[in-house]
Amino acid sequence: MNTQNNTDNLTNAIEIKNLNFYYGNFHSLKNINLNIAQNKVTAFIGPSGCGKSTLLRSLNRMYDLYPGQRAEGEVIFTGENILDAKQDLNLLRSRIGMVFQKPTPFPMSIYDNISFGVRLYEKLSKSEMDDRVEWALKKAAIWDEVKDKLQQSGLSLSGGQQQRLCIARGIAVKPSVLLLDEPTSALDPISTAKVEELVTELKNDYTIVMVTHNMQQAARVSDYTAYMYLGELIEFGKTDEIFIKPKRKETEDYITGRFG
Amino acid sequence: MSDKHLSSQFDNDLNTLCTKLLAMGGLVEQQVIDSMKAFSKMDLALANQVIERERDVNHFELEIDSSCTELIARRQPTARDLRLVMAVSKAITNLERAGDEAERIARRTKHMIEVNLVNNINTSEIKLSGQMAISLLRRSLDAFARLDTKAAAEVVEEDKQIDEEFRAFVRKLVTYMMEDPKTITVALDMLSIAKAVERIGDHSKNIAEFVIYIVKGTDVRHISQEQLQKEANG
Repeated sequence: MNTQNNTDNLTNAIEIKNLNFYYGNFHSLKNINLNIAQNKVTAFIGPSGCGKSTLLRSLNRMYDLYPGQRAEGEVIFTGENILDAKQDLNLLRSRIGMVFQKPTPFPMSIYDNISFGVRLYEKLSKSEMDDRVEWALKKAAIWDEVKDKLQQSGLSLSGGQQQRLCIARGIAVKPSVLLLDEPTSALDPISTAKVEELVTELKNDYTIVMVTHNMQQAARVSDYTAYMYLGELIEFGKTDEIFIKPKRKETEDYITGRFG
Repeated sequence: MSDKHLSSQFDNDLNTLCTKLLAMGGLVEQQVIDSMKAFSKMDLALANQVIERERDVNHFELEIDSSCTELIARRQPTARDLRLVMAVSKAITNLERAGDEAERIARRTKHMIEVNLVNNINTSEIKLSGQMAISLLRRSLDAFARLDTKAAAEVVEEDKQIDEEFRAFVRKLVTYMMEDPKTITVALDMLSIAKAVERIGDHSKNIAEFVIYIVKGTDVRHISQEQLQKEANG
């Protein structure tokens, strides 16, 4: 049941093989097998505590920040196992970027919010950096709103703008994969719509993996959906199929709101 | 729907939708029964009654359609629930058209009575296929109420017999008309009625196909009978 390679013949950006995850003694992810298709949006859905955020955090080793959390198995990205101890985590996270549930701008100017990460990996001239900042802000569909106040604090922006600033920061280092952990749960409907629009736009250049509590959001923006429950991958498939004709009753119960 | 939603109001809404569909189905069934009776007995009063009641059928369609739209807007149904709402929305279109066909039978009957057409054409095929159409319509609605895919598949299969009766009747009409051109006027009325009956069978078949779609999630329109049976019974 856990071997689900339902991404047709698309190129896989990430291949997850027999992934198990532990919070101390708690077995949080159970033998997950899943392929993340390149230049597609893959959504993880499921009730609270099902392991969807844990799975997302495994993809760029966010869990390494916390002692007692460990992953076993393989997460293959560009031919290497991400879970390998000798992975350069900073490099990894520049290639697999992440945006969190709550907007987390740095307490610095809008410009520096973008340039800060880029400086860690690249040496750019002032004009090159200006170009990069503009490019990232344009990609994140926020340029028009901030171009006249780049030196103002990132914290002065609205919640929706802050979140798009964080997405701009995430893509400024030109990652190939973007992880979004409930990117719109703290946003109003209009900001949510803008971020969703952006996700659809960004998938031309990036592979996107998102966790969402909002099932309609998964239905709207994702190409593939994975339904998880109690640490297991219950069903994975094309989003249209999951939402119109799911194969498993557990999935159907969850997405139709019969989950109790 | 067997399992309950977290929201009982959602369950109520879906149940109400199905109840309304079946009520509309009952009305259309009565229309077909009465129109066939009016035709068999050349009963003008009954034909008029069918024509009069057609408005109620149309009203039902509008009401259920708006309930479907409202339910989608409010609840964003998915999977089986979504399939149910879509199927109801399409089934009422079929019911409304079956109602139109009943009205057509009544109007043609009325016409025949009013112009006092002498009928010496044997109409046993129409009467027989009329009974079959009524039975198919009733059984397709039963299958909908019970979400019984097996019964639905039987309806789809049996619709072929009505089509066969229709073709046989047309062949016979042609011979009447060739023998005696004076029968052409009445034969055209007969043809129209026979076609209406045949269409009622088709609409019942469509409703039955939606039942399989709701339960199995497979669109069984335009596929072979073998595949359909496999889907329904698998």
